[in-house]
Amino acid sequence: MSESMSESMSEFERLRTHYPNYDVMREQEQWDEHTREIVQKRLETLQTYAKLTGEEIQLIKAMAALFLDDNRSGLLAYVVKHFNAKLSSDIGEDQRKVGVPKQKDLIKDGLAALDVLAESEHGNAFAKLSPEQQTSILVGLEREVLTLRTREGRELPARAFFQKMLTETVSAYYSHPQVWSEIGYGGPAYPRGYYRIEFGLTDPWEAKRDA
Amino acid sequence: MPEEHDPIHHHVCHYDGARWDDLDHRKYPQEADVVIVGAGTAGGILAYELTKIGLRVVVIEAGPFWNPQSDFASDELSMTHLGWQDTRLVDGNNPLRMGHNNSGRGVGGGSAHWTGVFLPFHESDFRMKTVEGVGADWPLQYEDLAPFYKYIAKEIAVSGPKSFPWGAYQGPFPYPERDPLSANSEMFRLGCERLGIRSVVTPLAINSAPFDGRPPCINRGFCNQGCLPNAKYSSLVHHVPKAIAQGAEFLTDCMVTRVELDERGRAQSVIFTHDGEEYRQRGRVIVLASFAVETPRLLLNSKTAGHPDGLCNSSGTVGKYLMPHSSHDVYGKFEQEIRLYKGTPVMATTQDFYETRLDRGFIRGYTLHAHGARPMAMSTGLARDAGVWGRRLRETMLDYNHYGRVTMVGEVLPDANNRVTLSDEVDEYGMPMAKVTFSYGENDLKLIDHAVEQMKAILKAANGEPEFVVSDTAHLMGGARMGADSQDSVVDQWCRAHDVPNLFICSAAVFPTSGSGNPTATVMALAARTAHYMIDEFKRNNL
Repeated sequence: MSESMSESMSEFERLRTHYPNYDVMREQEQWDEHTREIVQKRLETLQTYAKLTGEEIQLIKAMAALFLDDNRSGLLAYVVKHFNAKLSSDIGEDQRKVGVPKQKDLIKDGLAALDVLAESEHGNAFAKLSPEQQTSILVGLEREVLTLRTREGRELPARAFFQKMLTETVSAYYSHPQVWSEIGYGGPAYPRGYYRIEFGLTDPWEAKRDA
Repeated sequence: MPEEHDPIHHHVCHYDGARWDDLDHRKYPQEADVVIVGAGTAGGILAYELTKIGLRVVVIEAGPFWNPQSDFASDELSMTHLGWQDTRLVDGNNPLRMGHNNSGRGVGGGSAHWTGVFLPFHESDFRMKTVEGVGADWPLQYEDLAPFYKYIAKEIAVSGPKSFPWGAYQGPFPYPERDPLSANSEMFRLGCERLGIRSVVTPLAINSAPFDGRPPCINRGFCNQGCLPNAKYSSLVHHVPKAIAQGAEFLTDCMVTRVELDERGRAQSVIFTHDGEEYRQRGRVIVLASFAVETPRLLLNSKTAGHPDGLCNSSGTVGKYLMPHSSHDVYGKFEQEIRLYKGTPVMATTQDFYETRLDRGFIRGYTLHAHGARPMAMSTGLARDAGVWGRRLRETMLDYNHYGRVTMVGEVLPDANNRVTLSDEVDEYGMPMAKVTFSYGENDLKLIDHAVEQMKAILKAANGEPEFVVSDTAHLMGGARMGADSQDSVVDQWCRAHDVPNLFICSAAVFPTSGSGNPTATVMALAARTAHYMIDEFKRNNL
């Protein structure tokens, strides 16, 4: 419990990794410079998030903790940083379903509407609810049994908002080197590559199962 | 001399000094012989073949000119931009996932992030209407493409088995098959063997030994993120540098927004935008090698008084009959580690389910591959398309190394309702965004069910426990199909537009049917065949 916890969240149960002694970053000198720079940047924390308000940050963290079953602050901070980057970018969103608001509006309006929904369902802001209450709301959005409305009463596509938040959260989390280490993923692999790729073989620098 | 033999330097320095920085100093400011829109697989091959005989070629590409060494990385999240990320509106019962899933942007196009699978179509792929009574026939037969499959396989040193048990392309492939195989591919072959399903080491456009100054594959496994050692074929490292050496000009970060006709109704030029400025490039021949969404979008956006429904659209088929492949993945859990991140992602394949069988209740078929997966692709696939999140996702991903994966490439029948149209929204170029509508048909869904059961059976036979089915699609075909009849197709068998004699469309956009296997070998063969036809036509003064 050495990490500082935000709000009143207690730490989630820490699941067991099969590779407690493996740290993918130990091999970073073997990576090409461009990749190393990209991965190292993920470990830098931001002091401020230009595109997000304090409330939005708390909402993203609360949702992400449940999506990921993990509320360690360093990892949640990286998820927030990822959303901040998404909202800062002018790159297209690959695809958008007809009738769904633009990504930036979907995220920003959806987060605000999530608090409206939490207040009407449980009488408090989403980030202040218990994990059980929060989960019931997320499941309601996923199954579209709950309606998401902005304070002005405009309806938002609940499932599209849920899917956007889930997909971006999971993309960020499983791109973090700390998580790579925990799941025993080899990570960046150039210029070295792999030599022992067949069944039962591992190269000396790969994660070894010891739990 | 050392520089010339350095595979990295050899393939990234080719552009230095070959172009001015500003677009007012272009190589062929008056007129080029051929203007190609799109520097992907087809565009690269066309540029190479046409410049080989001295034609003056300009290729105009919307995205950047990648340098693999400084632009590619061993990382999933940061490499999604190899796909076409500009927003497309999607619709229908099964809205498609676009971007990196099925498109490319930048020199190399989709070939910058493909898995290198090289599978010629079978004879039956070209004759669906004749054999099955539905869909469409191609205006050419396997025999017409056969010499070009062989030509391309040799040209890019495809590695593969000494004999190939399915279809008319029997091998041998020019380079030896890959060895060793990844654990996931070994698992797949074992499962197939125990079920009496034939499998092979996949034919791959990835070097199994040094070729043409490029090294063999190092089993890094990041094919989908762009190949850093240049072991995998892409037009970026093979055809494009050769085309430039032969005189081709590549204009990059240039988005073509319109094709213009002259007063006789012949294609005269294209308009493109670079850094907010509009430019015009004239050519005696215009080729749209801009894939299945941007091609119809460009044609529809280029309508004139003489072509009120869009260019080349007298048949009304522009944008129609768009097809992805169904590409569901099945994950199985194993007691031993598989480590899906290691080795070339696809190294083992079966086409035992390729052809129509009367006892299955659907027509046509599919190809199955062992297919690696990295943490981001696996976790987002599970979350987005299989509804797995929270504790279950975390537990599953902690066992990431214990999962194996099989994927399908399933035929999707052509349907006029699956199509590209122009939406009401405009993009940064002021061009209407594409709207892509897609719904599976009944035959498609039956085929998927059958394939999913087979994939589960293979995992089980290899002692795995099938756990997750992730619905997905791959590739895009159609939107400007070829046909013998100008009343219901856009181009003829030479990829030449029925309506505009000096306009060609050359990419998977011309496929009348999707085929039951990966499309790129056929795109390549078609591009080579079209180039040879164009050269003949130039020589006869018909262009």
